[in-house]
Amino acid sequence: MKKGLQWKLILTLAVMALSIFLFIPPKDKIKLGLDLKGGIHLVLQVMTEDAITIETDTEIARLQEQLKKKNITFKAMVKGDAGNFTVQGLGADQEADLKSVLDESFQEWDYSFLGETVSLRMKDTAVRYLKEQAVTQALETIRNRVDTFGVSEPMIQRQGMAGDRIVVELPGIEDPDRVKDIIKTTAILEWKLVRAGPAPDEAALLASVGGTVPEDAQVIKGDPKRKEAGFYLVDRVATVSGKDLRTIRRSADEWNSPAVSFSLNPDGGRRFEKATGENIGKQIAIVLDNKIISAPRVETIIPAVTGGIIRGNFSIEEAEDLVIVLKAGSLPAGIRYLEERTIGPSLGADSVRQGLFSFIVAVVSVMTFMIFYYRLSGGNAIAALILNIIILLGALAYFRAALTLPGIAGIILSIGMAVDANVLIFERIKEEKALGKGVLNSIATGFSRAFSAIFDSNLTTIISAIFLFQFGTGPIKGYATTLIIGLVANLFTAVFVSRLIFDMTVPKTAKRLSI
Amino acid sequence: MQLFKTPNIRFMKYKYIALAVTALIVLAGLLNIIFGKGLKLGVDFGEGTLIRVMFKSPVSVGDIRSELGEVGLGNSVIQEAGKNGREFQIRTMEVISTKEGPELESHEKQANDVIVALRGDDGRAEQAAGLRDLNGIDRRTLAALLETQFPGQGEGLAEKVIDQRTAIGIYSDFAQLSEAGVAPDVISFLKEKTYLGKLTLLSRETVGPQVGKDLRRRATQAIIWSLIGMLVYIAVRFKLANGVSAIFTLTQDVLITLSIYSFTNREINLPIIAGLLTIVGFSINDTIVIFDRIRENQKSLRKMALEEVMNLSLNQMLGRTVITSGTVFLTVMALFLFGGKVINDFAFIMLVGTIEGVYSTIYLSCPVVLFWQKLFKPGKGGRR
Repeated sequence: MKKGLQWKLILTLAVMALSIFLFIPPKDKIKLGLDLKGGIHLVLQVMTEDAITIETDTEIARLQEQLKKKNITFKAMVKGDAGNFTVQGLGADQEADLKSVLDESFQEWDYSFLGETVSLRMKDTAVRYLKEQAVTQALETIRNRVDTFGVSEPMIQRQGMAGDRIVVELPGIEDPDRVKDIIKTTAILEWKLVRAGPAPDEAALLASVGGTVPEDAQVIKGDPKRKEAGFYLVDRVATVSGKDLRTIRRSADEWNSPAVSFSLNPDGGRRFEKATGENIGKQIAIVLDNKIISAPRVETIIPAVTGGIIRGNFSIEEAEDLVIVLKAGSLPAGIRYLEERTIGPSLGADSVRQGLFSFIVAVVSVMTFMIFYYRLSGGNAIAALILNIIILLGALAYFRAALTLPGIAGIILSIGMAVDANVLIFERIKEEKALGKGVLNSIATGFSRAFSAIFDSNLTTIISAIFLFQFGTGPIKGYATTLIIGLVANLFTAVFVSRLIFDMTVPKTAKRLSI
Repeated sequence: MQLFKTPNIRFMKYKYIALAVTALIVLAGLLNIIFGKGLKLGVDFGEGTLIRVMFKSPVSVGDIRSELGEVGLGNSVIQEAGKNGREFQIRTMEVISTKEGPELESHEKQANDVIVALRGDDGRAEQAAGLRDLNGIDRRTLAALLETQFPGQGEGLAEKVIDQRTAIGIYSDFAQLSEAGVAPDVISFLKEKTYLGKLTLLSRETVGPQVGKDLRRRATQAIIWSLIGMLVYIAVRFKLANGVSAIFTLTQDVLITLSIYSFTNREINLPIIAGLLTIVGFSINDTIVIFDRIRENQKSLRKMALEEVMNLSLNQMLGRTVITSGTVFLTVMALFLFGGKVINDFAFIMLVGTIEGVYSTIYLSCPVVLFWQKLFKPGKGGRR
């Protein structure tokens, strides 16, 4: 063998060995996309405005407190759109005092005076920061919840122009609705003292307390799925909340039905102890996301260290899920689903089975044809084709790119073009032979003449695929990935490897060529 | 072996007839798309919800339609998938969007309505008695259930039961458990604690209008940029005329394929876009191969008119064209026949496109180059 050939052979074998090494065992190394494996694909939007509204509420409360301290009087604070509020009916000559308070400790707000009304607007930088924070926190929280639930290889990413979208991909989920609930629950848990209720509807409730809702109270509905139905009047300010939890776990109550037990941190525990001590005989509502789970009656003072139990006609799963969401913390803002795809494991398995079968049928029939039509030279093409597939699988494993249905389409196109490259070369060799050239000469000319067509067509397609990869979404990206890999491999196998096999197998003195 | 002994077909002679045929197909397609049935956008582009279900025992499309009719969803598209009358694909059409509720949630509600309607009363009595649906239960819950009777084995047993369910789709009989090697005592325990629900949900896809719009925009953007990329490359490697002609060809590929597609009941989804791109890929490959041969022939046959060079080149490449397209056709045919429901639409559009791509190379790429050269180089079209 010529020296040049030896090196070419070593290179080819090395590429083959490396690729095989990369994708063995294929079951672990080749990642399947959700359409083949089954799982959930969710696109969520974080309602970042929520975070602004919440911040505005806290800031209003803070300002009220400060004004009270400094004896600045006003009639009312009125909330406008998210990030806006006004202080109305400011006392005479207190403008300067208010200004100094605002300048000193409300630097995130722009303000303007108009008579005795002051309008406050949150600065754009602060709004941006809060929104950014909301998305980051939501991402973290969702990741924690998913991790606690125990999903293998979850993918959770930010997306979208405004960066307020989150993509969640969870492979191999069997109970999608449950996971969706876990992700979506805002999970704000509060204990609030009950003032009146339950009543069958809001009107009846209000009638029992004199017609109007006091400013420091609110009406909350019981969650019909849980223990309490009907309407309650409860304190606006929570006694303790989810933030005060120290531990939380699934347990069972004295009748052995699923429940959730909790303990509180020292500060929360003290407040709880005080509240229970002062309200023996009254009800305390346990509120989750503005719905009452249960409203047990306080029978005795609950000491700070004891903690308690939440009952609510939970099933085992529901109790488990509540623990998961409470452990991971609450979401800083509401979440909305924009896209939801659930592929069951059976459908995925079916697609893989059928996809694999049809792929094998296709490849085998193409190979049979090549052998039939090009005889021994067809063997060249087959070797090149097999190597092409091997390199493709290796590269997929290396780049950790998931194989999807559109990805299979990309493979088909690249295999089609690989076959075409061989056909181009072989037909050209035949033509050259028909012109009366010798075997070796025909092979050499055939390869060099066919090269420009192969190169141009592959490169054109690679260029277009690169753009598709750059701009496309999910399935189109998957398609572009396999296509680019397949075509690059093609340039190597069809031109380089196929030639190498000819050079190695056709003797210098050959008079005939099986083609 | 030689399929064609260098034929001599005067392809270019028929260019006007061919252009007329092309125009006719595209016109019919466009009329159908604009005034007739139109192209059906699938769930990927924000239209409705797609649900795939599998029943325990065969049902008919009529049964499903009348069940859905009761909840006002009788106009859903219902297609049978698979051959045993147990798998169906249901696409809800109408989007009831309420003012308050975000639209995706109303889609979701609709999907739930479909499932509830199909289920009917099935399993209500069993659930009231505390039984679980073995065709719907998840691994964890089943493991916990089995653990109560078979301590320490819950996980393993649940795995066996669920894996078998994944393989067959749905249990229609408890006897199928024994095929998976589940022990008789476990089966009798499951018979006591679970029941076999009437159907299982294979998949459910909903894309909200916002994301649908986004996907449409990104798909269009991707396609336009990749076309520009091709145009520039071909213009540099060949001539501007070739680049322009390639773009014409691609446009025709897409138009004809979509026209034919519009006469079927199939929907446009993201995989179909991938299919269209594949067709374009093959067609451009074909076109370049011919252009390459024309370029080569023009160098050696300087005296020959461009039209003659084209005829010669097309004839020289005919063997290759038939063989290549034939093998691709073979591949796609395998996908079409054996690839299953999910891939079937894709395979169909590929079948159409493969044939069309060859045709467009011969009867659009070449004539356009010819016309372009005549337009901008008066006199003889040939290269000097």
